[in-house]
Amino acid sequence: MRYLTIALAKGRLEKEAIEMFDVIGISCSEAFSQSRKLIITDEKNKVKFILAKPADVPTYVEYGAADIGIVGKDTLMEEGRNLYEVLNLGFARCKMVVAGSPSLIGKLDSLNNKRVATKYPRIAREYFENKKRESIEVIKLNGSVELAPLTGLSEVIVDLVESGRTLKENGLVVLETIAEISARLVVNRVSMKMQNERINKIVDGIREYLRQKEAKEQEG
Amino acid sequence: MARWKIYTPEGVRDILFNECYRKKELESRIRELFRRCGYSEVESPTLEFFDVFHEENLTPQEIMFKTIDQQGRILVLRPDLTIPVARIAATKCRDAALPLKFFYIGNSYNFSESGGGRLKEFTQAGIEIMGVNTAQADAEVIAMAINAVKASGLEEFQIFVGQVDFFKGLMEDSGLSRDDMEMLKVLIESKDYVGIEELFKGYNIKKDLKELVLNYYNFSGTPDEEIVRFEKIAKNERSKNALMNLRKVLEILDDYNMKKYVSVDLGILQSMNYYTGIVFRGLTHGVGFPILSGGRYDNLVKSFGRNLPATGFALGINMVLTALERKSEAFVGQDDATLVSYGSHGRKIAFMICEELKKQGLTVEIDITGYLPDKLEEYAKKRGIAGIVYVWDEDNIELCDMTNGSRRKTSFGELLKK
Repeated sequence: MRYLTIALAKGRLEKEAIEMFDVIGISCSEAFSQSRKLIITDEKNKVKFILAKPADVPTYVEYGAADIGIVGKDTLMEEGRNLYEVLNLGFARCKMVVAGSPSLIGKLDSLNNKRVATKYPRIAREYFENKKRESIEVIKLNGSVELAPLTGLSEVIVDLVESGRTLKENGLVVLETIAEISARLVVNRVSMKMQNERINKIVDGIREYLRQKEAKEQEG
Repeated sequence: MARWKIYTPEGVRDILFNECYRKKELESRIRELFRRCGYSEVESPTLEFFDVFHEENLTPQEIMFKTIDQQGRILVLRPDLTIPVARIAATKCRDAALPLKFFYIGNSYNFSESGGGRLKEFTQAGIEIMGVNTAQADAEVIAMAINAVKASGLEEFQIFVGQVDFFKGLMEDSGLSRDDMEMLKVLIESKDYVGIEELFKGYNIKKDLKELVLNYYNFSGTPDEEIVRFEKIAKNERSKNALMNLRKVLEILDDYNMKKYVSVDLGILQSMNYYTGIVFRGLTHGVGFPILSGGRYDNLVKSFGRNLPATGFALGINMVLTALERKSEAFVGQDDATLVSYGSHGRKIAFMICEELKKQGLTVEIDITGYLPDKLEEYAKKRGIAGIVYVWDEDNIELCDMTNGSRRKTSFGELLKK
């Protein structure tokens, strides 16, 4: 039997994704916690796990180097790859928002030249150009995006917000919400068909896991 | 300084030696197959007017390589080979008996394709049948596609067949706005169930329709089961007819004895504006993208001024080669060559030996370096040459076996016996 390859995004999603696969009987937690290996094989189930940078997960899956991927919706939106987005896994929830100084509340549309600082140039452009039909200047930054409006580099930012604490402590507010973000299960288009039976089994397993988790949360 | 002189642009590449041989050999196998099935080869120009492809929004302009002619008109490198064939059928073959059956093998250019075996310049081999609108023609095209893949040496592959009219019928009843229909199409194509649920929230969608759309992806059943499953819920006339047409095509493929290569996927909608009936894609292990695609496009030729229904498919030669490589398929390569070297009195006889050995089917090279034996053998080793024939003169011929370095005397007569 062929190995099925699953790509996991390092960081934010990693722990919960590994836990989820453990519960449905595909095991990789021990191996990853004990070593710095980037590929782990579950011989029993003929499954390989690879650990990649979040932005690279859609690439591995699109090219078929991995059959399945676990990655945030933010990465999927930013990368815009051709793949099947099959399940909303519900964890790592946050929001993609436009944020800026409180003085801009209700006045965003009247700003003539909008400079938008972001780690997500594609999402920012897509939102302003296609949804709002406005031209913007995108300033690509690599972190601490909140600094941009504070230093006068940009009027607004497009960024992920989890609790909103960083925004608040820096005197910024959410002006508009672009999208709700959470972890997604994505599948390569060819694998979805050529390995349909095995992939469906995993998808069904995860669905069941999510249902039980939800039930538990409601009880608790 | 010419800074880029030593590089090739992104998305195009040199194809060398054995790889080149394998590619051409595959092309000739497919050419032979198409010819034997009664298709006529056509070659259209690499450069065409922009209008050929852009009219009716057939091809997005961002994906085309463009240039300008002396009169200021926009030209493009052809992004596809079907549209030029439609132009030929509409303008050049007015008196020919229908159906027209064409095939082509040539390069296309697409700006957006790159990576994973996809290149900006890629070779396509395909057929087009124009002038008949029958299930037989649809099935023939799929059967030809299967035969072409088999001729390449790939055994593990699947053709996924859909019918775009099924979805178009569903949409007639849905009450969705035009924009949302477009959106839904994209969402189904990308199997984005999360997005579909979101989209439906704003509408009062009938439960069975919702069920149907959300179930698009579950193609684990056999083709017959799939059709029955959809038949049960499809109420719309157009959708029903689409399923009937699909059923008929599958029946014909069954008689071709090709059913094991075929699955049903009614979620193939990508180029819906272009396709009008049966659509299909071929997939295989090891490459993340389809190796072939095709379908019925009854409105295309009309846009060139002649109303001809049409159907066809194109196989991505580069994709197939990648798949074969991943599968480490052993290709029949060039035989190990024999090198013939001669002394000043042996030239004429050496040329005769060359001709004779070639007639026996061997690959024979004549030595043009003038190297002495030591250096020549070093060169032959590097080149992977199997043996050297030294022709000093008519009675003085030596044979050197490069596999073990042994040398022995031989004669003209003995050499030609083998």
